[in-house]
Amino acid sequence: MKRIAMMGCPNVGKSVLFSRLTGVNVISSNYPGTTVDFTKGYTHIGGEKFELIDVPGTYSLEPISKAEEVARTMLQEADIIINVVDATHMERNLYLTLEILGMKKPTIIALNLSDEAKHIGIDIDVRHLEKLLGVPVVPTCAISGEGVKELTLKLRAAKQSEQIKPMTEEERWRKIGDIIRKVQVVHHRHHTIREHIADITVKPATGIPIAVIVIFLIFLFIIRIGNLIIEYLMDPIFYDYYGPWIVGVVNTFYPKGLVHEILIGKSTLESLDFTQSFGLLTTGLYVPFDMVLPFVVTFYLMLSLLEDTGYLPRLAVLVDTGLHKLGLHGSAIVPTILGLGCNVPGALATRIMETEKQRFIAATLMAIAVPCMAQSAMIFGILGKYGMRWILMVYGTLALLYISLGLVLKRIIKGESPELLLEVPPYRKPDPVTLLKKTWTKAYGFLVEAVPFVLLGVFVMNLLYISGVIELLSGLFSPVLTTLLGLPKEAIVALIMGFLRKDIAVGMLLPLGMTPQQLTISCVILSTYFPCVATFVVLLKELGIRDMLKATGLMLIVSLTVGVLMRAILI
Amino acid sequence: MSGRDVKVAPLTTLLPGEKARIVALGHGRGRQRHFRTMGLMEGKMVEMIAMQPARGPLVINVEGTQIAIGLGMARRILIEKIQG
Repeated sequence: MKRIAMMGCPNVGKSVLFSRLTGVNVISSNYPGTTVDFTKGYTHIGGEKFELIDVPGTYSLEPISKAEEVARTMLQEADIIINVVDATHMERNLYLTLEILGMKKPTIIALNLSDEAKHIGIDIDVRHLEKLLGVPVVPTCAISGEGVKELTLKLRAAKQSEQIKPMTEEERWRKIGDIIRKVQVVHHRHHTIREHIADITVKPATGIPIAVIVIFLIFLFIIRIGNLIIEYLMDPIFYDYYGPWIVGVVNTFYPKGLVHEILIGKSTLESLDFTQSFGLLTTGLYVPFDMVLPFVVTFYLMLSLLEDTGYLPRLAVLVDTGLHKLGLHGSAIVPTILGLGCNVPGALATRIMETEKQRFIAATLMAIAVPCMAQSAMIFGILGKYGMRWILMVYGTLALLYISLGLVLKRIIKGESPELLLEVPPYRKPDPVTLLKKTWTKAYGFLVEAVPFVLLGVFVMNLLYISGVIELLSGLFSPVLTTLLGLPKEAIVALIMGFLRKDIAVGMLLPLGMTPQQLTISCVILSTYFPCVATFVVLLKELGIRDMLKATGLMLIVSLTVGVLMRAILI
Repeated sequence: MSGRDVKVAPLTTLLPGEKARIVALGHGRGRQRHFRTMGLMEGKMVEMIAMQPARGPLVINVEGTQIAIGLGMARRILIEKIQG
């Protein structure tokens, strides 16, 4: 099977084009560097099957970051290259194009965002460009799908360029200037409204208040809408329909005994118990579907909106100064925000940081102080009834940890913390269908990944209870838990579960009859002491075993220290 | 150049709303290439959009591309202000 590599600069719409060609949903956003890992897909063109690879965006083939090293290797292994060029920024995109053409691989160029280029007054003579480059050029608009068919039809015409020879950097820039002069005409135009808005959101006097309002509204939306979904949709489904039905079914086949206990715990028809019964079919489904999913959906809807409009890079600019004090720079806002959804993509996104030092700090701070949405949903769920101040205390403590740890790590970790250098893309109007699709993809991803783990966790926990292992462990750890942290020794079950899934782990605190103070301390410890297994695996891959050991040590020390301090203050 | 006063100065001296022409990128070859591939190159007109407080990054517009750049990096880029 022939392999096609899709290459281009960051944020030119490669991923959207890739989805168009393969039907595989790829996460794309209006932010440079979303594709840090490569994605594979398959496509049939004229009866032949091709393997298509979405290569991370790079500005050149001489690697500056990890993503660009990947790109170079992918190019060498491909049979055909589709070079995606942003028609609105042709000049700088052509540098990569000339490098690719110099590699003498069969190449075809997709001149993407052609419609937008026309819209802002850029005329490109495509035929002339084809002649100068010596390979086919197809204007496309990936978002609407225009030109995609022509691209596949012309794929067979992809060829090595005879016109473009390998050349030095200076020659390449001269050649680009030459090409641009011949094929591109830019018509003068005035500032558009969108550009005025763009300026307002990066100027500090207006941008900072706007950022505060935007973030506040987003949180309000996530919490309000999430709660509405629970109250009017999920709770009725669970309490009025699913609950009575499943308890009836289980009672019919297993009126009592071990299986009954594992499936629905102490739930009865008279008192449905979804939160504390700890059955596979009660708590095991209620936690992911009812308590967590609604917030995951609202979170990803908001995140997609932030990504697709292009607001994130502006936020990165505004928080840059603050993050510098923590040894990071503005771009670190991306792994942090992604981490608020799920720490796994957050950990992957630390790759957009340039140096090892920055990647380590960004990943460690996220793993310790950024709770994922699943965990947050459960924290709201169990602390909400005691009042807002306990929830604020958990998040306030975590925020304080993020800042103070960053201040320390900046000083003790060796290496460089370079400055921000980031393209701020123009605002784009998000497409509602794409938004919903993206939200659905992420919510579905959550279900596929979370539900099996939650069920496994509930099952294992039941076995541990029945076999008496829990009792043994609670005895063993009671010096730490009870003496140092002031928690009931049974809280060990939540900590054990936390290795697997943080959401269900928080849920396990409920039956322990703790005071709000104890719950608050437990929530902070659960967030900080160790990442869940999925995050751990990714972090291990990203940081390497030595740095991961360092990070893990830090987590344990930090969470114990904070727990003891909180106990001294609260209890 | 008759009748015009040309002054070469660091990019950081540009005030929000002001425009100038880039004359030198400073920095090593790798960084320079990175700048150019972002559209930041000699001969282009640059406009200062915003300067973040407390020595924060600048946001500049180089012929239609907005770029956020750290103050330290920007200090080594030279521009010529064209007056009169």
